[in-house]
Amino acid sequence: MKSINLKVNQITRVEGHGNIVLKVSGGKIQELKWEVTESPRFFEAMMRGRYYEDVPYLASRICGICSIAHTTASIQAVEAAFGIQPSAQTMLLRKLLFNAELLESHVLHVLFLAAPDFLGAGSVFPLLQTHPDIVVMALRLKKLAYNLAEALAGRKTHPLSCEVGGFAKMPDLKELEAIRKRLEAALVDFDTVVGLYKGLRIPDFTRETEYIALKDAGEYAFISGDIASTDAGIIPLSNYLKVTNEFCVPHSTAKYTRHKRDSYMVGALARFNNNHKQLLPRAQKVAAELGLKAPCYNPFMITVAQLVESFHAAEDSINLIDQILSRGVATEDNAVKPKAGRGIGAVEAPRGILFHDYTFDKNGVLTNANCVIPTNQNHNNIQKDMEALVPLILDRPEDEIRLRLEMLVRAYDPCISCSTH
Amino acid sequence: MVDDEAIVRESIKDWLEDAGYQVATAETGEEALELIGKRDFGFMILDIRLPGKTGIEVLKEVKAQRPWIKSVIVTAYPSAETTAEAARLGAIDYLIKPVVPDGLEKLIRETIESAGREPTVTTVEVRPKPPVKAPEIKRSVVITREGLKTLVEGLAEDMEVVGVKSRNGKYDYDKITAFAELSLNYDVSVTPPTRYLLPPLETLFKFKLGAALELKPAADTTRRAIIGVHPSDIKAMEMLDEAFMATNPDPNYHARRQNTVIIGVDCLNPSPKSFAPSMGTHLAETGFDLLLTDIGDDRYVVNVGSAKGDELLEKHTKVREPTGDEIARQKAVRDEAFYKYRLSLNVPRERLPKLLDDSYDSPYWESRSATCLSCGSCVMVCPTCFCFNVQDEVALNLKDGERLRHRDGCTLIDFARVASGENFRHDKASRFRHRIYRKGKYILERYGRIGCVGCGRCATACLADIASPLEAFNALAESARIQEAARRVISEIQPRTELYTPRPAELVRVRELTAREKVFEFRFKDGSALGQLPGQFVEVSVMGVGEAPISISTSPTRGKSFQLAVRNVGDVTNALHKLQAGAVVGIRGPFGNGFPIQALEGRDVLLIAGGIGLFPLRSLLQFILDRRDSFKRVILLYGSRSPAERLFPEELADLSQRRDIEFHETVDKGDATWQGNVGVITTLIPKVNIDPKKTIAIAVGPPIMYRFVIGELKKRDLADDNVIVSLERRMKCGVGKCGHCQINGVYVCQEGPVFTLTQLRKMREAV
Amino acid sequence: MKPKVAFFDFSGCEGCQLDALNLDAGDVVDLLNAVDIVNFREVMTERADDYDIAFIEGSVTRESEIARLQKIRSQAKVLVALGACASIGGVNCLKNHLPMEEALRIVYGDKAGYYDTIPARPANAVVAVDYYVRGCPPVTGELVKVVKALLLGKKPEIPNFPVCVECKMAGNICVFERGKTCLGPVIRAGCSAICVTSGRHCWGCRGLVDEPNVDSEKDILQKYGLTVAQVVEKFKIYNTYGDVAK
Repeated sequence: MKSINLKVNQITRVEGHGNIVLKVSGGKIQELKWEVTESPRFFEAMMRGRYYEDVPYLASRICGICSIAHTTASIQAVEAAFGIQPSAQTMLLRKLLFNAELLESHVLHVLFLAAPDFLGAGSVFPLLQTHPDIVVMALRLKKLAYNLAEALAGRKTHPLSCEVGGFAKMPDLKELEAIRKRLEAALVDFDTVVGLYKGLRIPDFTRETEYIALKDAGEYAFISGDIASTDAGIIPLSNYLKVTNEFCVPHSTAKYTRHKRDSYMVGALARFNNNHKQLLPRAQKVAAELGLKAPCYNPFMITVAQLVESFHAAEDSINLIDQILSRGVATEDNAVKPKAGRGIGAVEAPRGILFHDYTFDKNGVLTNANCVIPTNQNHNNIQKDMEALVPLILDRPEDEIRLRLEMLVRAYDPCISCSTH
Repeated sequence: MVDDEAIVRESIKDWLEDAGYQVATAETGEEALELIGKRDFGFMILDIRLPGKTGIEVLKEVKAQRPWIKSVIVTAYPSAETTAEAARLGAIDYLIKPVVPDGLEKLIRETIESAGREPTVTTVEVRPKPPVKAPEIKRSVVITREGLKTLVEGLAEDMEVVGVKSRNGKYDYDKITAFAELSLNYDVSVTPPTRYLLPPLETLFKFKLGAALELKPAADTTRRAIIGVHPSDIKAMEMLDEAFMATNPDPNYHARRQNTVIIGVDCLNPSPKSFAPSMGTHLAETGFDLLLTDIGDDRYVVNVGSAKGDELLEKHTKVREPTGDEIARQKAVRDEAFYKYRLSLNVPRERLPKLLDDSYDSPYWESRSATCLSCGSCVMVCPTCFCFNVQDEVALNLKDGERLRHRDGCTLIDFARVASGENFRHDKASRFRHRIYRKGKYILERYGRIGCVGCGRCATACLADIASPLEAFNALAESARIQEAARRVISEIQPRTELYTPRPAELVRVRELTAREKVFEFRFKDGSALGQLPGQFVEVSVMGVGEAPISISTSPTRGKSFQLAVRNVGDVTNALHKLQAGAVVGIRGPFGNGFPIQALEGRDVLLIAGGIGLFPLRSLLQFILDRRDSFKRVILLYGSRSPAERLFPEELADLSQRRDIEFHETVDKGDATWQGNVGVITTLIPKVNIDPKKTIAIAVGPPIMYRFVIGELKKRDLADDNVIVSLERRMKCGVGKCGHCQINGVYVCQEGPVFTLTQLRKMREAV
Repeated sequence: MKPKVAFFDFSGCEGCQLDALNLDAGDVVDLLNAVDIVNFREVMTERADDYDIAFIEGSVTRESEIARLQKIRSQAKVLVALGACASIGGVNCLKNHLPMEEALRIVYGDKAGYYDTIPARPANAVVAVDYYVRGCPPVTGELVKVVKALLLGKKPEIPNFPVCVECKMAGNICVFERGKTCLGPVIRAGCSAICVTSGRHCWGCRGLVDEPNVDSEKDILQKYGLTVAQVVEKFKIYNTYGDVAK
């Protein structure tokens, strides 16, 4: 009978620090754990006492990959607390900026972090020799997303121009026009990625769970809407704590969550399962080509759902730029009058639904903060997926088990440091 | 002494010479200007009405050529217009003929005491050097706005066009894609246009590392037109030309300069921080291809400064000869702009190097630089700063590289640090001093052009508020003067025998105001006028009893006799109250500074009188009513303790009938006869609607009143400079000696009794 | 021999490492020709304990991280602090204003006992640091600049002048003139004043210049309407570690 003593210390090609522990003796699983060892940074404690203006700036530092998502959720939480209604122009710019990050993050995951597993490499660097076209294209797509974010917010990582109330600086329309052209070209690039992914063998593994995402009647939701669950239907945003039910486990510095079942999933696949009908036409077509059909219970398909969403985001960005170009941009007065109160901001970060919940005193100083991060919500689901997966592959060589478990974790594109904030 | 009446001229000359001054006289303005051109004067007494050039015209030229000369206007026919204009041109005061020697001498003495000057001008040794580019063509034409548009659009087809655009309420240079973006009537650009000649960062050359080092020059040869350059920036470019083209011509600078067309525009709305006229840079004769002056009605006079300028006009647009009226208009708008400058240098420009030479060890550097952030903002926005650093930048392939030049500046900490780590200007004070020396001395001596064009950008950029060279120059000049005063040989000074001797004056009539107050009207026995300013006071002697300071209650516009309203509170006033018409008292004065009439002209005036505070304010009120057109809204608020204590009730009744003054009155405590407001004076302030930007408030009353009135005025957002009070102190001697009236370092009888709130805040003992 | 480069992350958002990847394809090729990247957990599986240049990202916030950093120091020939957290402690140090038990309690409530934490500190509070790549995040390419300098055998040049210099070069209207306040006058440049250029103000992510006139800056902030507490708050965000925010 087989014995395994497997430990993946600090799994690579993910953001942050996590370990996989598997102990098998006599053919029986003794221990199987997804450990989160990331050092907590105590953002909820650090935010207390900060002036509202500095809160989104600080929130951005929760995560280096999805800083725009954190900034946006934070800004919207402050605005909700102060009763500020952002202008139509601001919402257009925010959505476009949000798309930039989604594109960058998905490209990073689909091509740099996940693809090497399928192509038998340890990182993207050897692919420069074996698949130079793919790497050059990936860098080109990332650059495009960076440039789009730069045009709107000064930079992508820790964006600047977006602030409570609106945008502190207007984008140069000529620059947006040029980026629009590159987005058209990007759609062709994404077709190449689809070609690549069609040839890859996505592990066949399914485990049905609860899928949770934002839902907006008007569009494939990213920065607006209420909470949708495949188990429980629509839940108003104000009830988010009843959905997340955070709890602590000793082997994880990140909190875990659960709702109707033992665990639930958030992220691209959860969004797809809830909102797939609202995808733009190109994305719909690509989903069909790649065999992604709702409901999909295979977590390895998260990466495919991200690729589908990339099409959506590129197409949506083109539409948004067209709207911005036709209406023009005007500098707005973003003056804010703080008031005492609580506000919740929720967005669909690349890795799933993200909540920022703040309470301010009358001077605009934060007195209480709670942030629930997508990867927080996925940790428990990763654990449950592992528990379902390992018995199915226990007969395989240890290296294969190790790689499959790593691939499962990577499929979630976890943002571990972010989840530990 | 400039006056066409020989008798006035000579008598004042004699009198002043007797008093120990050196005096030169001139009969006409032209003669005066010639004298001023040849010799150095500290003080000018100038008649307004002169044959030929008027006094105002003389004053204007003097301000441009010798801004440090203190001038006093003398006129027999005072008008608000001329006095206001004289004040704008820097005249410190005006006197109404016939001039009383006493008042004039006092004025001169005080002025010289506060701003005395050394008798000779030290000229600078400057390396003579021919200008880089001699002015080629000089002519003027007129272009319409439409014609200008055609020109700009034409230029845009041939080259890059940059110009001044509005940006977030400020102005700055940027690429121009449509004529409508161009602002020609701006105050100052955030960054200077010199950055198109010397960019903050540029490639000097490119190289390829390897066995054979390959070098490739990288001069920028973009053809570019810069539109809307102010004369001061044109002068800055000329200075840079000296530094970069006269010796060791710089290829990058030269390439840009050769490919740049300069289209200047006269600055008609200078920034309040600018002092271009003091640096001689508010107008430019050379250094441009074309220079525009906006003469209104969508027309510009164009001065053509080069053959290139002529060609551009020929090629791109249509112009016409100017009419005589248009040329006159150009001069007029320039003159008008000239008046708008608020700051000036208190020392001749040419003397700056000497002044700085003498000030190397001044404590000023240390004390003023204490707050310096060493942030470099001053040098980064300066159009004449050009120091740079050079760095190599190599690409990741470790082969291709370039040598970059970027702006550096002497106020940055590491500017003078050498590789071994030693820093030759390691402290803030030495860096601060070095920059001011460059602006006022080093550049001038090396390149023959002033290193500061007075644009005021550094003063705007400096958060610590220490960067303006003007401030440094003036402060150093001031301390040089103080040192000079300390060196003055006392024995050479003529004593003023009459300093403490009163002049006899006859009591013409007495009138009882209330149980405690009477008003006395006096006239000097020798028939002369008192020559007072509203707000001044006199020392009144009742011989045998003593002397007391009393404010003057009538305006100089009301004839030669003057009134003193007096409350019976002490020995002297008690003695006064017993006098009958015909009695003779002694009068010294007038003393003190009086209310700032010039500052009030053209403004809304809010007068606030509490109790006998009305006595000094009455002289100002009379003055204003006699020159009513010179002032905008006039509001009087008056508060008495009770109806019985109201002063001048018949005059108050008159005031309430007048339509050109808003009059509100209150009493602290009413009685059966009283129908009006009851309450303290501050309750009146909320009743009037004032514009804090246009209003100057003058309050006179008991000390307790000030605190509350000031508080109320600050609630209405009045600036400290626009709140004026008159303080009562024990002004025993009136001539700044006895020390009784001193508030901290201030003698109320000399610098007061009228103070702005700004001044008051500096005197801790004041209120 | 190509120098071996390793990246190590401590407590932080990992944005610095990710931005390091933001290169054009040509630059990636050039970089890989010039150096061997032997450790970069965020994007590669391979790891090695043999390296010359170590980039440290994040601040130290746990006892275990102290030993880990010391070990890296003993191995690396050159140790470079990457980003604000490693260079100056960064935003993580905001928690140092609280007792650690309080911070644990706020975040983990009654389960605080599961976890440990120590006051956050920059790399140079634990080991000697040779060079710094400052900023939150560092400017794209700034890290590459340091690599290039090391390859060319020169000291990486780090500006010792304040943000104002680059802000003026960029032609920005001063934040103070726009009615807001800014730390630019005392904060080290190198960022091209990107925050001001993007319509905001300087938060101080690159740390103080060598000889900052902090007293004058504090006076100016007060002159422009901040209370003493607000002035301290301004410095706290990035510069808690040190004396300036006290």
